[in-house]
Amino acid sequence: MKLISIKLFNFRCFYQQTPEIVLARLDDRNITIMHGNNGTGKTSLLNAFTWALYEKFTSAFGDSDQLVNRQAIAESQLNQPVECWAEVLFEHDGKRYRVRRLTRAYKLANNGEKNIQYNKSELFLQVAGDDGRWVTQNHPEAVINGILPKSLHQYFFFDGERIEQIVRSDNRNEIAEATKKLLGVQVLDNAIKHLKEARKSLEDELKNIGDAQTKTLILQKQKLESDSAECELRIKEIEQELDAQNQLKVSCNQRLTELGGIDEIQKRREALEQQERENRSNLRGLKNQLKTDISTKGYSVFLTSAIADFRGLVEGLHERGELPADIKQTFVVDLLERRKCICGAALHDGSPNYEQVKSWLEKAGLADVETATLKLEGFVDEVEKQATDFWQGIDTKQSSINHLKTAISRLELELETISEQLRKSPIEDIRLMQTRLDEIDRKVEDLTLEKGKKLQKWTDYQGQIENLQKQIKSSKQNEGKQRLAQKRIDAAQQAIDLLSELKANRNELFRKQLETRICEIFSQISFKAQTPRLSEKYELSLVETVAGQEVQSGASTGENQILSLSFIGSIIDRVREWSKSGLVMGPDSSTFPMVMDSPFGSLDEIYRRQVARLIPQLANQLVVMVSKTQWRVEVAEEMTPRVGKEYVFVFNSNKPDTQTDDIVLYGKNYPLVRKSAYEYEYTEVLEVNHG
Amino acid sequence: MSKVQSLSSLHEPIEKAPLEVQQIIRNVLKIEKDRLDKNELGRINEDILKIVKEAVQ
Repeated sequence: MKLISIKLFNFRCFYQQTPEIVLARLDDRNITIMHGNNGTGKTSLLNAFTWALYEKFTSAFGDSDQLVNRQAIAESQLNQPVECWAEVLFEHDGKRYRVRRLTRAYKLANNGEKNIQYNKSELFLQVAGDDGRWVTQNHPEAVINGILPKSLHQYFFFDGERIEQIVRSDNRNEIAEATKKLLGVQVLDNAIKHLKEARKSLEDELKNIGDAQTKTLILQKQKLESDSAECELRIKEIEQELDAQNQLKVSCNQRLTELGGIDEIQKRREALEQQERENRSNLRGLKNQLKTDISTKGYSVFLTSAIADFRGLVEGLHERGELPADIKQTFVVDLLERRKCICGAALHDGSPNYEQVKSWLEKAGLADVETATLKLEGFVDEVEKQATDFWQGIDTKQSSINHLKTAISRLELELETISEQLRKSPIEDIRLMQTRLDEIDRKVEDLTLEKGKKLQKWTDYQGQIENLQKQIKSSKQNEGKQRLAQKRIDAAQQAIDLLSELKANRNELFRKQLETRICEIFSQISFKAQTPRLSEKYELSLVETVAGQEVQSGASTGENQILSLSFIGSIIDRVREWSKSGLVMGPDSSTFPMVMDSPFGSLDEIYRRQVARLIPQLANQLVVMVSKTQWRVEVAEEMTPRVGKEYVFVFNSNKPDTQTDDIVLYGKNYPLVRKSAYEYEYTEVLEVNHG
Repeated sequence: MSKVQSLSSLHEPIEKAPLEVQQIIRNVLKIEKDRLDKNELGRINEDILKIVKEAVQ
């Protein structure tokens, strides 16, 4: 942050608007000096900066709730607002910022301070980029905080007479946190926090992918495939055995025929068996047809109720005379557009004839309904017919099936009679052969039954294998997803660990470097053998070595002031150094201003000279408010070569016997106190001409 | 006691990390810095997830 200028309006002793107080900001001339006597607005100017930027005040600034110039209030009408504002212009990271904080006071009665109401302040922020266009920004506090944190403001805008309070401050943690903020630790904190959230999301994703059981599923599938293969083998064996049994049966029958005496019976048996085979084949065919009919036409019998509803709706339309719609909508529209009815009558807008013809539009609108109804009626008639045909077809096929079943039973009975006859034959060979045939039949029956069971089992296996195949495919995909999700979780965790380590190391390294720098600066100013120490909690103290042991050293107010200045200077110096090394992760923090009121309060001459020499080198820009007595020889000698801008606060007093005061700068006389030309007192800002 | 003694060794652990982890750190820090600069306070989880997923494929 580099301050460009400040402008005030009705702010405390500054009546109306001040000129723009432009501040020095060249590298070799970076000091602005404000000369003024006590009570003429030096502390007010310091507080104008802290109020505008942070709505904060230094402890020496009294009545901070009464910012509005008294004369401006006195001149105002009752209940009319009196504005007071401070506007700070600064640049940062290549952009210009204009900050204005405004408050209003209202005079409620004409009898003194107590009847003045002060309003809450409002903050406005505008930013100009490279194109020079000013854009108003939301969240102005957050923007300013990102550039120079509020918690650090007292190290850059301070009252020199009370600066030792920094060392005595109870808010050590605040200093540590604010310093970390300057270093951009918040970026690391946020990165760690958000990476943890991302890792949690990735873990949830992993949970949702589910367990991968590819190996188990493959084992299950292999077992099923093996069982299926066994089943298939057994079916083939059964088929071979059935072939063999059927061959055997043919041989037995041939043998029976050869035995003689039963030719007729055998022929009869063969014919019956042939009939039985044909009947069974027909029965299978009919059953298949029945299944096909049910699956393709069966639905029509369930539509009876829906068809009845539809017919009811159509009937209703007819009864109400809405159907048939014997006139088309386009025809009516044509008539209305031509302004002439088919009867020749004129159809003027709004006329009774026009309205009457127009009323046909509603009726004509049902023409579409009629077309759809006609189409649906055709379909419904078809479905009704299909339902009737379906029942007839089912009845016919069922009757044929029953007929075939009866025929087969009859044939079986007849064949059994023949077998029984042969079993009881007086010829032993015939009896034996029939017994053999019976055995073959039983065997065939058993084998056929087993084949059926095995076929069913085999079909089941195929279904299960196909299902498992799908599961394995999906599980393999899941395994890949799981591996990837786990890899991502691990990478996120590694990033979290590394960033946490970086954060801890940065904090520690920064603190150590800060302590070293504090020691360097302190030793440049102080002539005592005291050493500053900065604890892990950022507690500043002075120690001295007694008999080889470090002991706490009591410090005077002046020493504490030097220690505080060393601390501030070190923070600026280190953060600037880190910023140059690209280690600062927040916004660019390489430029810092320092605005000091009475910077040399309790210091001796030797310390004043050292501080005056050192401070301009530490801060990039310095604004110093001094009284005539503070602007002593040694301070002026050290600072003058670096002074770029200089102002005098001229106090115009309304006291009748005003004692005037002057200051000579660059051979020219400037008034510090003079008699006011008006009835009221006010401070004027005059720029010093360097010649 | 810090393991790191100098500025130059501060980033060593990250430089030794696998490339995908380095990519995650680089991109997450960039997005967080941009957010802070622009003072964005909205949700960021999707963006961070995207960075991790893009780095590890």
